[in-house]
Amino acid sequence: MSAPQGAQAVAQVAKGAAPYWRNAGMTYLAYVNACSAHVRNCLKEPFKSQSASREQIHYKFTEWDNGVPSKPVLRSSNPEE
Amino acid sequence: MSTIVAVMVAIPACLAGTNKESLGDGVGGTNSVKRRGLRDRSLKRNLTGGVYNLDSEEAGKTTANFLLTPLRSPLTIARYGMASGSARRGGARLANLLHGYVNSSSSSSATSASWSQTGIAAGELAPFGARMASNQIVRNRMKSVKSIQKITKAMKMVAASKLRGVQGKTEDSRGLWQPFTALLGDAPGADAKKKIILTISSDKGLCGGINSTSVKFSKALMRLTAASGSDNQASYVVIGEKGKAQLQRDSRKHIKMFVTETQKLPINFSLASALADEIMKTVEFDAIHLVYNKFQSVVSFLPTVATILSPETLAAGSEVGKLGDLDSYEFEGAETKAAVLQNLSEFQFASVLYNAMLENSCSEMGARMSAMDNSAKNASDMLEKLTLSYNRSRQAQITTELIEIISGAAALEASS
Repeated sequence: MSAPQGAQAVAQVAKGAAPYWRNAGMTYLAYVNACSAHVRNCLKEPFKSQSASREQIHYKFTEWDNGVPSKPVLRSSNPEE
Repeated sequence: MSTIVAVMVAIPACLAGTNKESLGDGVGGTNSVKRRGLRDRSLKRNLTGGVYNLDSEEAGKTTANFLLTPLRSPLTIARYGMASGSARRGGARLANLLHGYVNSSSSSSATSASWSQTGIAAGELAPFGARMASNQIVRNRMKSVKSIQKITKAMKMVAASKLRGVQGKTEDSRGLWQPFTALLGDAPGADAKKKIILTISSDKGLCGGINSTSVKFSKALMRLTAASGSDNQASYVVIGEKGKAQLQRDSRKHIKMFVTETQKLPINFSLASALADEIMKTVEFDAIHLVYNKFQSVVSFLPTVATILSPETLAAGSEVGKLGDLDSYEFEGAETKAAVLQNLSEFQFASVLYNAMLENSCSEMGARMSAMDNSAKNASDMLEKLTLSYNRSRQAQITTELIEIISGAAALEASS
């Protein structure tokens, strides 16, 4: 494999790699958070449990249309609470 | 006589304590002699108690001697009754005044007029002759003020400890948006057709005016957008219960989205990015104005507007300014300038939102701290005033009753 061909292959892989998550419907933020979740998973104790709280989210949102609220949606890491 | 009164005014509170009610009962002019005798006994009891507590023995003994003299003629009884009646009316006037102070009710002249007619003063809860009633009201009020003060103090402590936790996080998070502003600048006047005004407020109240300021700024931005051109439109996205409560009153048509319970768990970047995603998915926009209170110190908060441009707006404006330099760089792989700008814009939104939420909750805690501090101070001021009026009225009561006794005794002396 000659040098330009190799560069081409690398470029092709990169070309495929960049939009994968975007094609899958992820936003950059979802991608960033998925990556950081993986990094957190690689941590050892006690750092792992310390960093676990950084993934916990909880909020409730309601879409409003023309002054009328729709049903609120709860997004929570532990919805059973 | 006058010296005795002067001494009696200064009698310590212990004399007032126990036998007041028995003194007060049955002092009307129409009392039967039998009741009078009963009353005399209770007077003796009261007075002996008083003498023991009195330091100036001479004065005390004199009074006691007055009182131990038995009743003699009907005339004396009549005089006695008159004297005590007028004295009581004096006490009632005081009580009315006090009552007006406590409940801020009006016209003591009207109450005293009705007093003489009906026997129960208007606004007076107690029946004729029961003098402790208004004092009881003040005492209850003092109790409730005291417990409110306790609550506000506790709230202040809680806010202070929460503030300490969130302040460090806030200061750290400033490092996230500062590079963005250095690179992209802040463009509050960016030319955008569709705008989101993202109002950040708190879910809980009792934190001064921070929510009102965010709402006020949001409304001003809304008016500004409306004035800038007829095809420009803005809509609200509200975070926090209190901001919603204020905005839905007159601009509910403009609210597109409302988020609450963001502070149930500690604020983190995951939350900010989830919210940012949610907002970008739900509402179309060219620019977002985040309105929040920037934390400066425990007592000062700056209402702040941070602007985030959508990738398209960013790309349109990127020819000028520092972003123009992006063209001189080479992008890895297939990343185009547009893709980079999109990622950048998304990340900027999440970072600024993260910081804004932290700043706002920090300001909330600070504002709550100072609000609760003020209310605790007010409560102690109020308590002081109430205690003063309580003691004063009690002393007046004591004085009145002593005058009653002494004048009765003097009348006896004179008639004997």
